[in-house]
Amino acid sequence: MRKLLLNGAIAVGPVVAALVVAAVVLAVAGAPPLEALNALLSGSLGGRIQLARTLSFLLPLVLIALAWIIAFTTKRINLGLEGQIIVGGIVATLVGLHVSGLPTGAHIVLGMVAGGASGALYAGIAAWFWAKRDVNEIISTLMLTLIATETLSWLVRGPMQEPGVVFPRSSEVAETSQWGTIVSNSALTWDILLVPVAVVTVAFVQSRTTFGLTLRITGANPTAARRVGINTIRTNSLALLLSGAVAGLVGASLIFGGETARMGDGFSAGFGFEGIVVALVARNNPFGAVPAALLFAILDSGSGLMETRVGIASELVYVTQGLVILFVAGTAYLYTRTRRTRVDASDQEPARAATGVEMAGTV
Amino acid sequence: MREHAHKSAEDPATRGQTRSHARTSDVEPVLQMRGIRKTYPGVVANDNVDLEVYPGEIHGLLGENGAGKTTLMKILYGLAQPDAGTIEIRGRPMVLRSPRDAVDAGVGMVHQHFMLVPDMTVAENVALGFRTERYPLTDLARISADVKELSSVHGLEVDPAAVIEDLSVGARQRVEILKLLHRSAEILILDEPTSVLTPQEWEDLAHVLRSLVAEGRAAVFITHKLDEVMAVADRCTVLRDGAVVGTVNVADTDKASLARMMVGRPVVFRAAREEVKPGAPVLEVQDLSLVDGSGKTVLADITFEVRAGEVLGVAGVDGNGQAQLVDVLTGMTQPTSGRILIGGDEVDRLTPAGFRRRSGGVITEDRHKTGLALDLTLRDNLIMRDYRERPLSSRGLLDLASIREHCLNLIRGFDVRTPGQTIRMRQLSGGNQQKSILARELYAAPNLLVACQPTRGLDVGAMEFVYSTLLRRRGAGSALLLISTELDEILSLSDRIAVIADGRFLRILAADEADAETLGLLMGGEG
Repeated sequence: MRKLLLNGAIAVGPVVAALVVAAVVLAVAGAPPLEALNALLSGSLGGRIQLARTLSFLLPLVLIALAWIIAFTTKRINLGLEGQIIVGGIVATLVGLHVSGLPTGAHIVLGMVAGGASGALYAGIAAWFWAKRDVNEIISTLMLTLIATETLSWLVRGPMQEPGVVFPRSSEVAETSQWGTIVSNSALTWDILLVPVAVVTVAFVQSRTTFGLTLRITGANPTAARRVGINTIRTNSLALLLSGAVAGLVGASLIFGGETARMGDGFSAGFGFEGIVVALVARNNPFGAVPAALLFAILDSGSGLMETRVGIASELVYVTQGLVILFVAGTAYLYTRTRRTRVDASDQEPARAATGVEMAGTV
Repeated sequence: MREHAHKSAEDPATRGQTRSHARTSDVEPVLQMRGIRKTYPGVVANDNVDLEVYPGEIHGLLGENGAGKTTLMKILYGLAQPDAGTIEIRGRPMVLRSPRDAVDAGVGMVHQHFMLVPDMTVAENVALGFRTERYPLTDLARISADVKELSSVHGLEVDPAAVIEDLSVGARQRVEILKLLHRSAEILILDEPTSVLTPQEWEDLAHVLRSLVAEGRAAVFITHKLDEVMAVADRCTVLRDGAVVGTVNVADTDKASLARMMVGRPVVFRAAREEVKPGAPVLEVQDLSLVDGSGKTVLADITFEVRAGEVLGVAGVDGNGQAQLVDVLTGMTQPTSGRILIGGDEVDRLTPAGFRRRSGGVITEDRHKTGLALDLTLRDNLIMRDYRERPLSSRGLLDLASIREHCLNLIRGFDVRTPGQTIRMRQLSGGNQQKSILARELYAAPNLLVACQPTRGLDVGAMEFVYSTLLRRRGAGSALLLISTELDEILSLSDRIAVIADGRFLRILAADEADAETLGLLMGGEG
């Protein structure tokens, strides 16, 4: 119980500290902090539409955090989630535009599956290079993101552009491929239900299935994993593919559940990176991703009103986000450091280590 | 300290004749540590420890792993601050805040893992951190000359121009000692100095130490090996559970009583080996060779067999191909040529999974690097081998109830001391980590067990446990390949003994025709 409280404090403490420092920054920038906070909250939670917008950010943020967590379970670093979102979105848009004659449910499922599969394939390129040519996946996924971004930019100005308009965007996807809205005139669509499903699934697979244990062993010590007969190359590649699949799914959902149900330039809106930060704040815990994502959703969603009402550039929200990241990373370091010293101590004194550790464990 | 504090000058000390350490009570101690206490969260590493070291003596600091030896020496070397207690060097109270303070006070330390820069020369390593008059410039020529002189005076043969990575382990250790001498250290601390040496290198080291203390220096020799203390130390302080059990004159004691002081109960040294009639060959290896990625031959033409109920010991100095042999035999690496037969069947392309399927178990040399996942729980580590099979899982789902029960049996059966199953592996002591590996690899009664350094870093109590467990497997008809750098271990467990050097098996001897000396000579490449 005390351990739970301690972990809770470690999770929430830095966020609170970051918000306090952000308030100071706001005050220095000439805005009354309380008023700014008020604007931020009413802009994100203050009304039906505001709340709906905030919640609609949860899906990309939570699912991308989960995608990161899946890859990171085997210690693979998938920095290219943004690119996988884009590829998933492009393919889903194609399905939404060009497949016809399907009932609504089937059309959505087909598009989502296609989006997920293409995200997986796109991550698979990095996985293949990693497995066969020992190419660092951090670099390859990031480079693939550049390619995806530029390809999208060309598509929405070229072959996939809506005929007769100057905007860089596609036509609206077929009615049958659009998620219905929960709150009318908002982006909150029924695909939000994927959030709890995905969180529980990832947590369950990680802790209760043989596959999850295979992932965890591979991540914790690849040599030991190989010794017990795990094919670590395959496991790592699979983790990258699954991670990409989830990102591709997010891409599809951003189109089918988006406010406009069409693909615009930059539709991925940086969720592929922000979601990684959510995972960082959640310390790679699937359940923790939900509150962490909520925090970032509030910041994203309320910044507009803060700008108009208090006259503070909405960019200041990024300052807050940056502070949260700094504080979380800082405390993570403190956390591992205190754990180290405990371990040192138990190395000193194995004869009593059991009791020592027991104490440490219940702090 | 208490009972036999000083060896009187007229003590006949038969073995002591060659050592110049006879002291009378009017000689002042060069080092006095009094009432040292150091706690870490949840543990008392040192509890009211007194240590007195006299000039001209080799002082053994004996204790099991975790008895507090290293903590005490860290305090003396300024790497840790005591919570209580005083340190006096040559009668003057000292506060040692950093290794620099310690070096200035004349304390030098040879760490268990050498602190040398591998791609620099001997002279450059000695020059590191040392200020000559020409500071901030270095004066390598002078340092080279100093090193030459020191090495000829003390019989520490080293070429100052040699690059460290080309030197043998023994030579590197000599460089470490030269470093201390060059800084005029009066009190030399040696942390487990013999763990990397051949018996002959150890002889040389003992000789050097004696000549160094003969000139009035003092040496503190940290070890958990009784034979070493008996062979080289004048006096010995025994630590147990962070406290001093006693300080004794080595000439007045014997191995058994030291062991009793160290462990707190009588210890059986030779594991009892029952007669087992070897059965059919379980592992046969023919002309096995391995050429590594850089084209170097690391294993050459190795041929042997291990029968059921037999222990084949492989003796050798670290780094002579043992690790690669284990990797090839357990399917981690494919040999360049040669044949491997397990249970009489030729194995074409052995994989780790195939090795396990053929009832193989392996205890790896470095449990942290290759045996365990330290960040996972004890439970995860215990089931790592078999979690994909019934009853631990079915249809891809872990069966938590049967996993819990399985782990409980292993923890009980192999005496793993732990507060619970979900503790991180990292938090267990080395002995308990090793026991969990034994539990994981042995519970399924493998027909073939490859054990590499199974007792590395373990204390006497845990070693006894490992030995008896291995011998029980032998009694039950398993074939054991025991690879170790510890001759004692090899000699007391093996039925036959092979010596490996430079990736070759030099000879395979029957246990009764092998002794430490023969093996030592072979290991040093002089066979």
